[in-house]
This record gives sequence, C-alpha cells and structure tokens, in this order.
Amino acid sequence: MSAIHVNHLRKVFKVQKNREGLKGAFQDLFKRQYNQVAAVDDISFQIPRGEICGYIGENGAGKSTTIKMLTGILVPSSGQIEVNGMIPYKDREKFVRGIGVVFGQRSQLWWDIGVIESFQLLKKVYRVPENDFKMRLDEIVERLQLSEILNRPVRKLSLGQRMRCELAASLLHNPSILFLDEPTIGLDIVVKTEIREFLKEMNQKYETTILLTTHDLQDIEALCSRVIMLDQGHIIYDGGLQNLKDKWGKGKEVHFQFQKTYPLSTLHDLTKGLNVKWFKENELAAKVWIPQNEVNVSDVLSRIVGFTDISDIKIFETNTDEIVREIYKSGSAEKAKEVVASNV
Amino acid sequence: MYYTSIFTDYFKTYLKTRMTYRADFLIEVVTDLLFQLTNLFFILVVFLHTNSLGGWSIYEMLFIYGYFMIPYGVFTCFLNLWSFNERYIVKGEMDRILTRPAHNLVQLVLENMDPASLFGSLTGFIIMGYAWFHLDVSFAWYDPFVLQLMVMGSVLIYGGVYILITSLSFFSDSPTGITPMIWNIQNYGRYPVDIYNKVIKFTLTWLLPFAFVGVYPASFFLDKDISQGFALLTPVVGIVFFSIGIIVWNIGVNRYKGAGS
Repeated sequence: MSAIHVNHLRKVFKVQKNREGLKGAFQDLFKRQYNQVAAVDDISFQIPRGEICGYIGENGAGKSTTIKMLTGILVPSSGQIEVNGMIPYKDREKFVRGIGVVFGQRSQLWWDIGVIESFQLLKKVYRVPENDFKMRLDEIVERLQLSEILNRPVRKLSLGQRMRCELAASLLHNPSILFLDEPTIGLDIVVKTEIREFLKEMNQKYETTILLTTHDLQDIEALCSRVIMLDQGHIIYDGGLQNLKDKWGKGKEVHFQFQKTYPLSTLHDLTKGLNVKWFKENELAAKVWIPQNEVNVSDVLSRIVGFTDISDIKIFETNTDEIVREIYKSGSAEKAKEVVASNV
Repeated sequence: MYYTSIFTDYFKTYLKTRMTYRADFLIEVVTDLLFQLTNLFFILVVFLHTNSLGGWSIYEMLFIYGYFMIPYGVFTCFLNLWSFNERYIVKGEMDRILTRPAHNLVQLVLENMDPASLFGSLTGFIIMGYAWFHLDVSFAWYDPFVLQLMVMGSVLIYGGVYILITSLSFFSDSPTGITPMIWNIQNYGRYPVDIYNKVIKFTLTWLLPFAFVGVYPASFFLDKDISQGFALLTPVVGIVFFSIGIIVWNIGVNRYKGAGS
C-alpha cells in the first residue's frame, strides 16, 4: 500500500492583477482583475511506504504548495490526495497525528521556553504515552546529541541546534510519514551531514516514509532513491537519481597533469578519430571532454598514457547540479536531452 | 479531558514565559486597568453635571460598567485574537497550527491566552459590588447563578463576534478597517441603550449585540423592567452568535492560502 497517493492534483490561486501607475491603482480600487495562477497543475504520483523521495524544483515551482496540500494545510482546487489512507484536509486533527512536519523556515518550537519543555508540550498535544515518549526522546537526544541544549530556550540556540531540535520535535510521536520542507537550508556542512545520517537511520529503523524538498542536491544524493522534479506546477521528471544521471549526464572530464609540456595539437593527434575535446589548463596540464555513450574513457586513456609522461590523472563526472541546472533552464527533462545532444 | 490537560500545560508555559519578562507583565496589568479606569472616569464626569442620564442614575451606570468589565476581561483572556491576521496569516504561522492534532481555534486560544486581563474582571466585580451596595435593589439567592449564566452568555457573544471578524482574514487579504470599527461600536454597549437613537439601539441588540454584554444582562439585577425580558435572552444570543462565529471560522480555515514558501 502506498503511503502517499496523489492523483491529478491541482491548486489554483486567484491573484489580483495590479495595473500600473496611480491611474491603474485607482482603477483597481473599483474594478479588480484577477489572474488564475496554477501553482500545482495536474500532478500525479505515488510514494510507497518506507521510501525517501526528494522533491526538487526552482523557487516557485510549486513544491511548498504540494507539501502544504499533502499535510492538510491547504485544500486542493481539484484532484485526489490520500496520505496514510486519509484525506489530509478532512479530519485534520486525526490525520496530523500520523505525520511529522518540519518547515526549515518556520519554527515548531516555543520561542521562550526550554527545548525540553517544548517537547513535553508536544507530547501532550500529540497524546504520546509517557513510556513511549521517554524511549523515543532518549533515543533521539542521544542520536542528535541534544542533551546539552535541552534546557536552553529556543531563542538562544544556533540555527544548527534549532534545526536538530525541530527534527526531534517532529519525530516524538513516531509519525509514519515525515514531510521536510528545506530542512537543511542555511546549515553548515557538519550539521547537514548529521541530519542526513539521522534521517537515513530513522528511515531504515522505523520505515518512516520521507518526502523532502530541497535546493541542495547533495541532500538528494545522500538520501533519496527517487526524485520528483517540478517545474511551473508540472512534474518534469519522476524516477531514480542514477537514472537521471545516466540518461542526462553529459559525459566525463579527464584532467591530465603532465611532466613535460605537450602542445594541444599533439594531444589532438593522439586521439584522432575520437569525438573528444581538449582544453589547455596551463603549461603542464590539460583536460579532455569525453561525451557519454560515444567514447569510452578507457579508449582515451590508452591512447594518451603510453605516449606521454603523466604525473596525475583525475576523472570527473558531470555532477547532478549541472544536470539539474540544465533541466531547469530548458523546462523539461525531455528537452534537456535534446539540448545536451545538440551540444555534443 | 484532553483539552483540559493541554490547557494546563499551555498555562504553565504561559507562566514560565511571563516570569522571564516580569516587568512587562506588571506594566500590562497596570495599563489595562488604567485604560478601563479612564472610561469609568468619563462616566463620573458626566454625572458631575447631571443626576440621571435617560433615567439611569450614576450607581446604575457604574453597575453596568462593572458588569461589562467581567465578560470583557474573560474575553480578552481567552479569545483575544487581535494580532491574528498579522501573525498567523501574513507570517504564515497558521501552517504550524494546522499540522497539530488539536482544533486550530483552541490552539490559537491557548497560544494567545492572556490571564493578566482577568484582573480587569476582578476590578469590574468590585465596582459592581460597590454600586450594588449603594443601590436599593433586592438580592435574591439565585442572583449569583444568574450572574454566571449572564457572564457566560456575554463572553460567547463577544467571542462569536470577534471570531467572525477575525475569520474575515481568510477571505480578504487585509481586512484592516473593520476591527477598529467594531471595537468602537462595542464601546456603546456598556451604556444604557435607550439613551441612543433607534438605529443604534437596533444595531446593538440584533446585529452586533454588544448591548447583551452590558446593559441588558446588568439590568436584570437592577430590576429595570424596560429590558429585563432582553436580559434573559443573553445566553441564547450568546450561543447563536458563537455558533455563527465558529461556522464561518471553519469555512474560512478551508480557504486558508498560506504565505510564502
């Protein structure tokens, strides 16, 4: 049974059209014009239990709107949602007991009281039995190293400490689905790594389904087996991350560090017949661009290695950032492929 | 049971927060009382010039004013949602409220609880007692019970009207103008309605029934027959208006649009 089931989901906002200038403002006063803006436009997907799914897209692509509909905050304009076997916006109070929510930009905790007191309050609100609460709290506190900050008021915590507490707060009632909206925004690399590892562990141990939105693709690479990419309210890619890389990765780049100076023409001659591009880095270094699925890296290497004095070789794969940037720019995963193909 | 238990916990939290900001707490209590007392002073000034106002004596006026302060204090303590639009709609804190398993309005009440304003109720009670002492009216055994019922009705009216107004935030982007207007109108309710013209009287009785928060229920104890019949309507009007408030609120919540990302 799937944890999240979304079918032809749409959310349309009515946005007032502001006319220009003072005259326009005056006209707006009497007769308003509205634009219908579809923040989420006919999306469908399913997420099975225990999956970690990344939800990515540019600012304003509709990520947050989707999360808000999935968590019952917003009522959809049309389409069906089923999360945990329930319709989120109906019977909210019952529904939200089974989910955890972290909004990176907003705090769930009480500003002025100690962290542990916020947790106690949440325990009451979520009706978590004392024993369960204790067990869960001990585990999370130990895992996220919160014991030192438990008694500090939230307003005196650093962002990293606060985020760890937010995460703890969202898991106290052992939700079966966790929604994270930009959970690593503004955090340093140490905290990011900690949070990723923690999420992974929770997912493995409790089979918690996790849906997270992020702009940091390393989050996705570290956590998600699946990515849903959104653009202007439409899903433009839904599938594995590896698949995305395989299909739309452009190729590899090999960096050579030579012991002698070789002119570019020599290198070109050595790789004659192969569709590769050479670039000079400096006197002793050059890099070669090898397009995916056309030329084998080993072919290139075998032609170079025997005929030059090499001190170092590095191989770079196109990183996910670049692929995603390319897709964002073109607006669809299909088109991106064409762009890449024509580039080569 | 569940709500009693979370009420207790929120209340403790409130106290803890308040203890951190001790001076602020004292200032709030004092300014609250000063605000009420300036209004009271106005009544006293008027009665320096006349002995009766539309057939009401100074002590009767004081009695009504004292009565008004009781439900008003309770209302401000629990249903004070002044900053709702700014804090929960514009800043989007409503998101957080909606992802927690307690009724959203109850959570708002608990988060914005302001028990300091109960000092106002206490003051009102004392003023009422003082006025009663000077008035020559009977005291029946059931009066304390009726008082409780009346206060409850009045609180419900206040609550209903303000929940209704607050829920306008869900329908319109910035309903800034209406709250101060209602706020001004509600001030009329603490004086006898028969000193106003017919339109205002009708408004205060049936449209924005603030007369049920002051003069009508108070006149029950003053044995004034002009509005005694109305007095007993207080709880009924309370239930009706509170229900309307809740219904509109619940419709509004489903139209909540959220804010930003």
